[in-house]
Amino acid sequence: MFRDGLLILYLVVPMALGQALEAQVLEEGTLEEELIFADDLFTDAFDIIEDIDSSSWRDGLTIRLSQQISGQVNHHLVEPLPGYLLSKHGDLENNRFGINLRYQNAFALGWLLQGSWQARAYWPGDYEYTANNDNLDAEYRVNELFVQRSLDQQSLKLGRQTVVWGETVGNSVLDVINHTEYRDFGTIDIEDARLNQWMLVWDVFKDSGNWSSFINLYPEFNPQPVVGSPFYVPLPYELNDYIRSDKTLFEVGTQWSKSFEGSDIALMAAYLYENQLRYPQANPQPIDFVALANDFVLLGLSANRAIGKLLLSADIALSHGLLLDESTLSGGGGFGLASDIKKDQIALSLGFEYGISNLQSLSVSIQAKRMLDERDGLADEQQLINKGVYGSWLVRYSNQVMNDNLGLSATLQGDLEGDTGLLFLGADYSVNDRWQVAGQIISIISKKNSPLAIFDQDLRLGLIVTYAF
Amino acid sequence: MSHIKRLSLASITMIIGLSLPAHAVEEITGLIIMQAVDDNQRATNDSSFTRLKLSSCKFGVNKGRIACAESPRVKVLESVAVNYGASLKDTKSVSITIEPASERGIGMLTYSYDQEDRDNQTWLYLSALGRVKRIAGGDSEGDTEPASLFGSEFTTEDTDTGKLTEYQVNLLEETTRSKRAVWKIEMIPNQARAKKSRYSRTVHYIDKTRYVALRSEMYDKYGKEIKRSVASRVELVNDHWIARSVTMMNLVSNRLSNMALIKIYTDLDINDDFLTQRTLTDTAYREATLKQLRAQLD
Repeated sequence: MFRDGLLILYLVVPMALGQALEAQVLEEGTLEEELIFADDLFTDAFDIIEDIDSSSWRDGLTIRLSQQISGQVNHHLVEPLPGYLLSKHGDLENNRFGINLRYQNAFALGWLLQGSWQARAYWPGDYEYTANNDNLDAEYRVNELFVQRSLDQQSLKLGRQTVVWGETVGNSVLDVINHTEYRDFGTIDIEDARLNQWMLVWDVFKDSGNWSSFINLYPEFNPQPVVGSPFYVPLPYELNDYIRSDKTLFEVGTQWSKSFEGSDIALMAAYLYENQLRYPQANPQPIDFVALANDFVLLGLSANRAIGKLLLSADIALSHGLLLDESTLSGGGGFGLASDIKKDQIALSLGFEYGISNLQSLSVSIQAKRMLDERDGLADEQQLINKGVYGSWLVRYSNQVMNDNLGLSATLQGDLEGDTGLLFLGADYSVNDRWQVAGQIISIISKKNSPLAIFDQDLRLGLIVTYAF
Repeated sequence: MSHIKRLSLASITMIIGLSLPAHAVEEITGLIIMQAVDDNQRATNDSSFTRLKLSSCKFGVNKGRIACAESPRVKVLESVAVNYGASLKDTKSVSITIEPASERGIGMLTYSYDQEDRDNQTWLYLSALGRVKRIAGGDSEGDTEPASLFGSEFTTEDTDTGKLTEYQVNLLEETTRSKRAVWKIEMIPNQARAKKSRYSRTVHYIDKTRYVALRSEMYDKYGKEIKRSVASRVELVNDHWIARSVTMMNLVSNRLSNMALIKIYTDLDINDDFLTQRTLTDTAYREATLKQLRAQLD
């Protein structure tokens, strides 16, 4: 199966690498005292002056084409349920071609139109291809599409967009405004998993601090796992989507933020719906689960402090009215029955980033949550999925080498209980200004009692070739 | 997520602005010349709007001439900077990446301070991140190794200003370079500076009438020339002579980078509000303000 994906890569990589050397590289110490540059060396740098002043709609368009192959390569046995052994073979999971478009156009003074779209074609070997009865499949999505109007001290953005709260990158307890989708292991960072929603965002910029408020009249929820994807677990019953009926859902929130020398601080409050739908059992026979959308109130504080090359960050979230039995897994990978008991939760993210040099950095973050009075109202036989303090941690190292052309990164993450650990090694190589090749290695270990037990000892390799213009 | 750079674009333009207004000095010394050059670098950066192109490649010889041995890597950036403070030695700048396409829209806001006990402040905006992020970079001096500017052969050390007291500056001779009369000036770092520097000695050739460094040579501790910069397109911009194209050659790695100031305007009326985080996130505001700035140029 890997050959299908590799064939495409064989076709495109030589194009990227096809740079003919016209000048011979100098031997050491052979440079003349007086230098004579080739006539055309960088003289075109000034040729684009005219282009700058005559802007075109095309200037704001960025197109990115990509081909991705990745798969699980380790042959091994796992025991996701006691006594149930599952043999896992090396196989291709992703073999897909992607087109991403991003467009930005300040079409009038103080006005902006911005959008981004993506399309994916799933080739043989991709799980989406298999799920489509071994037929070529394709998918199209509007990621972002909004109009912005900026006035003196204010700005209004209407359309599909993201609102990001919190300081702790990749692990913030406040980054809950937009829903997310972790469809497969190609998506590790929350920045890639975050999905846009239709919202109106109103920003006010003042010396006393900036206000950013939003209202969302169509809250969306984490999509269910795609059939055939690594996170998809066949169930003997159906999980229905949320039925909106006559009830009008909305989310609203506001944030005040201010920067001081060496520090940024923000306070926020919001009325939200949990991104993960809940499934209280509705009908015993036949088993039928009706999705429940649960509303809650969020109060938050975020701050950072820069001390030399060290950046400390903290996010605190107090959530009022969360349902018990919340799974730590975003994207619907975990499944637990929701009780009808609402609780308050306090959550904390702490992080530090250290700039080892201009090109190297190390970051560590931890996320911890605790339901207050979690056992109150529960019968003895009722078990909680998450007891006491639970959460996750993340360590990341990155380094840019070869004149910024090669980016290396290592990410290690896991849960506080020590049940699971995920190692991600990445290398991004810029062949030139348009072509980029990225390699990934993902290794997972998981205890049998973890929701990720089925991925224990998985080893995934991935390769992505990208062309941007 | 892309990696995060901690470098100020505003500082880049300083390397190109190695010029000073001609003034009568009876007994001119190397220090006086370089002090004037240093002061003038700040002037060329003040209240400025700049668009620059940074091209880098491996170089070789083709028919006896220096040429790129591969397709150059190109970055185009746009920057607005204003100097602040009693001596105008603090700088606020914002820069936006235009090219390459994969980095388009990345914005960086930097407040750099002359005082050694004040850390510079930098915020970065990556569209993928979805928000502005503070970057901890320490002060501009620190004990850090000189770093490459955007992967080019120019380094932070090449852009430093205000450090003349850390050098012994010698006027070596008056000679000619590129058919122009120049001062040949040698700069040797003191012990403290030498610890942070990759150069044991730098030699500048300053145009005597236009006060522009036409050529600079950087030597390592063994006395071997390791880098050389050559200036061209010396033009008068707002009463300052500026080399709008500077090529830096790394003689060890045989790589070169050319920095071309495609556009530079100084002494503009720039609202303080523009040098805030709003400019990174509010694209409609940024473009509207840039349009107003461009209107000042007409």
